[in-house]
Amino acid sequence: MLNLPRWQTIVIMAITIVSGLFALPNLLPAAVLDHLPGWYAQSRINLGLDLRGGAHFLLEADLRTVLTERLTNLSDSVRGELRKQQVGYKDVTVEPGQAVVVVLREEGQRAKAVDAIRTLDPSIVVSGSGDTIRLAYSEQELSRRKKEVIDQSIEILRRRVDETGTLEPTIVRQGDERILLQVPGIKDTTDLKRKINQTAKLTFHLVNENVAAGQPPPPTTYMVPTREAMQDLRRTNPKAWEEIQAANPRLTPEQICRRYQVQCLPIFKRVVVGGEDLDDARSTFEQQQGGRPIISFTFNAAGGRAFCAATRANIGKRLAIQLDNEIISAPVVQSAICGGSGIITGTFTTQQTQEQALLLRSGALPATLTIIEERTVGADLGADAIRAGTVAAIIGTVLVALFMFVAYGPIFGGFANLAMLVNLLMVFAGMSILGASLTLPGIAGLVLTVGMAVDSNVLIYERVREEKSLGRSAFSSLATGYERAMSAIIDANLTTLIAGVLLFGFGSGPIRGFATTLSLGLLTSMFSSTIFTRMLLAVWVRWRRPTELVI
Amino acid sequence: MLWKPVRLFTFKRKFDFLGQRKAALVLSTLINIVSLIGVAVFGLNFGIDFRGGIAIQARAKQGIAQLEELRSTVGALDVGEVSLQEFGDPSTALIRVQRQDAGPQCVAAAQKVMRKRADPAWQITPGAAGTGDVEFKAPAALDFAGWRDAVSQVGLTVQERQLPRSTVDAIKIDMSTSQQAEWCQQVAIKLVEDAIGDKYEIRGTESVGPKIGEELMHSGILAVLATMVAIAVYVWFRFEWQFAVGALIAMLHDVISTVGLFVLLQLDFSLTALAAVLTIAGYSINDTVVIFDRVRENMRRYKKLGMTDLLNLSINETLARTLMTSATVFVAVAALVLFGGPVLYSFSVAMLWGVIVGAYSSIWVACAGLVYFGLRPDQLRPEDDKASKAPA
Repeated sequence: MLNLPRWQTIVIMAITIVSGLFALPNLLPAAVLDHLPGWYAQSRINLGLDLRGGAHFLLEADLRTVLTERLTNLSDSVRGELRKQQVGYKDVTVEPGQAVVVVLREEGQRAKAVDAIRTLDPSIVVSGSGDTIRLAYSEQELSRRKKEVIDQSIEILRRRVDETGTLEPTIVRQGDERILLQVPGIKDTTDLKRKINQTAKLTFHLVNENVAAGQPPPPTTYMVPTREAMQDLRRTNPKAWEEIQAANPRLTPEQICRRYQVQCLPIFKRVVVGGEDLDDARSTFEQQQGGRPIISFTFNAAGGRAFCAATRANIGKRLAIQLDNEIISAPVVQSAICGGSGIITGTFTTQQTQEQALLLRSGALPATLTIIEERTVGADLGADAIRAGTVAAIIGTVLVALFMFVAYGPIFGGFANLAMLVNLLMVFAGMSILGASLTLPGIAGLVLTVGMAVDSNVLIYERVREEKSLGRSAFSSLATGYERAMSAIIDANLTTLIAGVLLFGFGSGPIRGFATTLSLGLLTSMFSSTIFTRMLLAVWVRWRRPTELVI
Repeated sequence: MLWKPVRLFTFKRKFDFLGQRKAALVLSTLINIVSLIGVAVFGLNFGIDFRGGIAIQARAKQGIAQLEELRSTVGALDVGEVSLQEFGDPSTALIRVQRQDAGPQCVAAAQKVMRKRADPAWQITPGAAGTGDVEFKAPAALDFAGWRDAVSQVGLTVQERQLPRSTVDAIKIDMSTSQQAEWCQQVAIKLVEDAIGDKYEIRGTESVGPKIGEELMHSGILAVLATMVAIAVYVWFRFEWQFAVGALIAMLHDVISTVGLFVLLQLDFSLTALAAVLTIAGYSINDTVVIFDRVRENMRRYKKLGMTDLLNLSINETLARTLMTSATVFVAVAALVLFGGPVLYSFSVAMLWGVIVGAYSSIWVACAGLVYFGLRPDQLRPEDDKASKAPA
């Protein structure tokens, strides 16, 4: 038990050192960090909003209305299709948030009607009997749509909230229909709400193919940078990119083209169709020709007419899609697009088409987002919390360490305290690796872990004392003490870990922070308090060869 | 050797813990019944996490926070029940306002906010009855961007299509009643901010809408139950059913009495408090399992010993560890109580109680339970025996 092979000692030391390296950036003062390479200095634990200050919103998307709108659209096309197929109907009604109900004049035409409806949208589930046809979307389609609405909303929020790319907002899905939006460092939420209410501007323009590179464009035309070029600039010349974002007043697209020499396209100023007329855009696959990924889009009636006229007159020319002063795409018009819907083909990957479809839909939020929870923390309040948490953590740790020193003496107490420090390092390292946020309850979890982590050592040492009082030799009482304490250590830690994990699953925000530090601390303490201290003891025993244990 | 270890919790005498099990049974039952009655009669002091509502931390720009003055200022706003307390230090007050409901008073409040923040000529009125619709009338015609900024002023987030494309001076925003209710929390925050903003600095605000509060309550109760069941199942797998039932009762005992403590001290029962309850369940079982582990070991070793003696022996053998660990956790948590600040206060006080009650229940509830459930040394599962004989 206490005869550790060399390789084990090396592995244990390596784990400890690596943990220390991961944890170190969190513990060093800023002055030292400045001298370290950036990637290392920056790998620190994120502070939660309650420590950092900022705004936290939980937004709920109104998916029922989205569904009802979609069902209303469906009922319109069903009416049209039935009329076209000459199927008589008494009534087509929408049950809000549920289904479309069609009542036919003649029961005999049911099969024909169902076939006609199926061609409209294959994802419809048909039920009902006799002259009544009930149309609903399948569960699968509904959850796909829900996910789409939330993804879209997240992408739009990101664009709106973080116009400058410097706010570092956290925008994530929470459950089925909610979005968590956290913006550190801001206090005035009115401005944030204004941003949530803001719309990105999406417009379609024809490309002026008569402008040669380097030539000044005519007054009907202006130069607009492509999104690709701007992203390249962000990568290759972040300073210039930031300059553009921070410019006040904002630079016009033409100024950007002139000053930064990025790739730009000359487009006509006249807007062919506006983004408000775009109903939907999604990434799909081509039916023929090997199923290339493409983007399909649908306009409303007005948009469809304008788009039809523009494409008919400009076959073979490029149509630029401009979003917030960047051209996200400029496909060539292959044919007149008149059905109100069309596709964009090209050599895209699926990921690209998904991205593009998302961008096309970025104009407007697909659903109303209602704030159902809001928390704002002033920066100084956060600073107070950090101070209180740190003081409590340090005092708690020192008191526990004193206790261990007094109870088990300088050697065994020292080993336990060293293990406690290693445990803290490992928790910090684990949080850095997991990218978890440290919250105020998280600090409480850390303090609690400190108190509980020494428990394993207490268990071992008390057992060693017992074995020793039974008359065993120093070496033997150590070895059996470890061995016999093990099962209690594992059971005790695992049961508490169950509580920690369930707490993590249930909790949100700050509570998750608590569950993270507590669970992580329990897990790592199984390493630090048993495996790590056993190694220390093994080395110590080999070195001092004690004949009597002072414990 | 610099100094010698001090045997802090080692006793020469062996205690007859389970001799007192009848007295403990009475005491525990009493505590639990009183706790349950307390919850039923006085109720928990639910924080806004569960009840929904608004909490605003305000610090006096000068001097100390005048709670009475604040109470009358905020009380006059027609926002329902208001409670105030000092928070952390005398200059800071925590203002709690009850959950706001949709209705004309909320729309009137929005108008008040808009008039103060933008222009006194604004009119905001409720739309058709039965809906949550709200009609806005601006002092002058506004365009899309103007309307966008205007509704943001009163904390409203809307979908673009609700805003006008043309320049008009009046719009109607469609909302369901529940959407309006969520918005009303935002309105009330702004109303309070406006009312006290001259003398107080707003350090932080929280608002929890009606929907999420109820959900948190449900999932919270579920989490506590799930935790206890999961732990009991684990114990059942590792030991015998009697151990699992004993552990379950001990956890219930701790959870109920902790909730009772919240009633007694009228501590704020928030999400963090719920975390404390769950942690206490986890911590208490930690203690229990260590004793159970020793009980199992002794059951194999002393097959002839009576159950009460065997349990007493096991408790005494692990007593030093129980007290030592309780002491280390206690001092760590005490540091949190004293220095952790107002946000963690409820949590830390509950944990402090949890340390004490956890140690108590491990001995007098969980182990006493084993006696009452008639556990006998020969009842251990054979496979457990085999497992323990294998080299650890």
